[in-house]
Amino acid sequence: MALIEVQGVAKSFPSRHGSINIMSDITFDVADNDFLAIVGPSGSGKSTLLRLIQGLDRPTAGEVRFRGAPVAHASQEMAMVFQNFALFPWLTVEENVAFGLRARGWADDRIQTQVERYLSVTGLVGFEEAYPRELSGGMRQRVGLARALAVEPSVLLMDEPFSALDPLTAESLREEVLQLWRDPQLPPEAVVLVTHNIEEALVMADRMLVLSRRPGRILAGVLVNLPRPRDRKSEAFYALTDYVYELITQGSPRSPVPTVRSTSETGPLP
Amino acid sequence: MAGTDRTGRELGPAVGPPTRPGRSFVPVDPASFWNRRLTVQAATVALTGIPAVLLATAVAPPTAGSLFATAATDLAYSFARMLGAYLLSLAFALGYGYLAATSRTGERVLIPVLDVLQSIPILGFFPPAIIFFVNAAGPGNPLGPNLASMFLIFTSMSWNMAFGVYETLKSLPTELREASDVFGARGLFRARTVIVPATVNRLVYNSVLSWTNGWYFLVAAEFIATASSTTALPGIGTFLLSNATGAGSTTGLVIGLALLVVLIAGLDIALWRPLARWAQRFRYDQTPSGESEAGEVGAPRAAPLRRAAGVVVAGMRQGVSRLGTPFLGLASIRIGGRARPESPYRRAAVRYVALGAALVVCWLLLIALGVGVFDVFTGPIAPAVRSQIAGLPLALGASFGRVVLAYAICLAISVPLALALYRRPRTARFGLPAVEIIASVPATALFPVFLVGLLGVIGPEPTSILMIVTGMIWYLFFNVLSGLRAIPLDLVEAANSYGLPSRQFFRKLALPAILPALVTGSITAFGGGWNTLVIAENVRYGSTIVLQVPGVGELIDMGNFEGGGYPLMVAALFALVLAVVGLNELVWKPLYRRAVDRYRLE
Repeated sequence: MALIEVQGVAKSFPSRHGSINIMSDITFDVADNDFLAIVGPSGSGKSTLLRLIQGLDRPTAGEVRFRGAPVAHASQEMAMVFQNFALFPWLTVEENVAFGLRARGWADDRIQTQVERYLSVTGLVGFEEAYPRELSGGMRQRVGLARALAVEPSVLLMDEPFSALDPLTAESLREEVLQLWRDPQLPPEAVVLVTHNIEEALVMADRMLVLSRRPGRILAGVLVNLPRPRDRKSEAFYALTDYVYELITQGSPRSPVPTVRSTSETGPLP
Repeated sequence: MAGTDRTGRELGPAVGPPTRPGRSFVPVDPASFWNRRLTVQAATVALTGIPAVLLATAVAPPTAGSLFATAATDLAYSFARMLGAYLLSLAFALGYGYLAATSRTGERVLIPVLDVLQSIPILGFFPPAIIFFVNAAGPGNPLGPNLASMFLIFTSMSWNMAFGVYETLKSLPTELREASDVFGARGLFRARTVIVPATVNRLVYNSVLSWTNGWYFLVAAEFIATASSTTALPGIGTFLLSNATGAGSTTGLVIGLALLVVLIAGLDIALWRPLARWAQRFRYDQTPSGESEAGEVGAPRAAPLRRAAGVVVAGMRQGVSRLGTPFLGLASIRIGGRARPESPYRRAAVRYVALGAALVVCWLLLIALGVGVFDVFTGPIAPAVRSQIAGLPLALGASFGRVVLAYAICLAISVPLALALYRRPRTARFGLPAVEIIASVPATALFPVFLVGLLGVIGPEPTSILMIVTGMIWYLFFNVLSGLRAIPLDLVEAANSYGLPSRQFFRKLALPAILPALVTGSITAFGGGWNTLVIAENVRYGSTIVLQVPGVGELIDMGNFEGGGYPLMVAALFALVLAVVGLNELVWKPLYRRAVDRYRLE
């Protein structure tokens, strides 16, 4: 069974002139061990879609299911990493990482062990007592990542996690996230990454979901079967980048690319 | 985000053209703000407080010791009342603000109510409150007047704090709210870790303002209570007034004032400054678009008074749409079927006439109704009181004239003063701290000084007007100054590069640029003025009338102190509230909207 099933989801918001249709007819699955990237132009509802998956918001139509059960409230099986980090400025690094565990009512000594583990995994040892404002953007996002991983979620949701960082910091943090992802000892079982950066998606993900302009629809599901670590200068990488770029800008590709499959064909990866 | 951390940044020179171009509304930098306040307050203590106490003790040895002891005890009473009222306000603000921010229905009801409450002259409600609490506690029970005083202080403290809680919770970044949901923060844990911490920074900031307000009303409440021996309140206000009248001594007056200033400054140094530094960490400023809402409305930057203006205007702006709607609906009724494009002036005229007429009719009806109700329930109103009620419009006119005159004086002083301090940064380095020292003394505490030093020389009417001036002027001054400082540097440079002479600079740049701030200042100044009326038109010590001039504030006091005057007090209070609310709706809100629309610099 798929981990997450998104079935015919549509979302619209009421506005002064009737309602604004953000997205419609969105259907896809996320399987175990899936690293899915959702890309699309701004206004395609990528971030909204991520929030629908987590259960922060309800779809206007359709349904999101997690392990077969409909997602009704903010799901505690998933954790999110935010674009602007969303760290509590009044809590120290340690307390921010412990936030989800305290909310879950864990015992103090268990929290202590867990927090230490994820601080060391994300390279934050030595910064336990620091406040978020004292950290650089890259370090703040590490805290955001540690906070999300500490609750050992089945699914890690990432909402443009690198776009508030400078390019160099973003690049090194991407590498680290991929290393964590490859570690079988660590959660999560699946990652959903929202980004407007096609290259980022191609470097990180196994699959890509390309959304259109508002109202967002799925233009294509793209299987990224390039060998890891991904070589940005390879012919195949360029071809795939161009293909997705054309999809987004023109709504349809000029030339078919062999690695492309339609959504329905894209199943879980071996 | 990296680079937006503002904790270590300095604001630049205290006064003068803004050092940074671009957006004129620089978010408050509490660190340098408090450093500067510290200097000012330390100077206050050093320059006025301690030498004054020493001098007073040295000059009048026989009585000074006991006077000092009495003053200190009375101040302790006052402080206890302040503290009680503040704790109440804190609890109230958190509850009220939270409810208004989280419940849609709550918001629709609570926020307009808050709008009205903070625009009415609350001092007028003290006489009825004192009657209520004294009756409730039983005559002779000291609890009654104490509760009444705390109630008044509470009303002066709580509105802006409740607004602060509401606004911070409303502007809590979506991501933070989502993060709390994502990680399952609920109930008490959420309140403790997310909701309350989010409000701390703003609450500390607004608390400073609340205490400034509180001191003013504390002293005022004691003045009013002292007018009757059954309700007398021991406290610093009573002490000051007693030393300004009858057998009092000037030494006592000096000691009392000095002690009060030392306490206010001491609180600032020992409590508020460290608190504000600590509260820094509760600020969420990691998003690039971190401009606070408060920065938009009043550009509060350095003084609590400016902060007050911002809060009041924020409230008024929100209130405009809600409260104004029924009136605007009324105004849009057109007579006759001919549809032709209306000129805005005509529409405005129709609106004003309709509003004015509606207010007058409502007022007359309610007065008639009120008199009728009193006739039925408490027996017929005495003819003397009846004629006083009939004289209300005249009294209102006299009071209005007094406030307008005081306003003109404030304007004539504060605009040139602010302009001088703005154009001459070197003068401002010494001038501004001096002004801030004077402004930090609650205006009401200076009234006894006026009574001793001026009443005999210039007579009751000018003294009363001067009292009203002290209750108004700082709102105007600090708003004008912050308006000037908000002029973008490139405009100033443009003016200088064309060699604009001083007069032209004022007319072509400064005046239009400060208009929104001027209107803001005027609104708050008038608010302060209406409040001050209640104590500035009738001052009594025991049964001795120290100062009396005809006006609506006087009638409220007369109604309070004289037998059978209860209906008079209610009617006068009602007239005052209606006049103030009407003035806000008819004059200030439209004026503010126009000023903001046309002259806002962005």
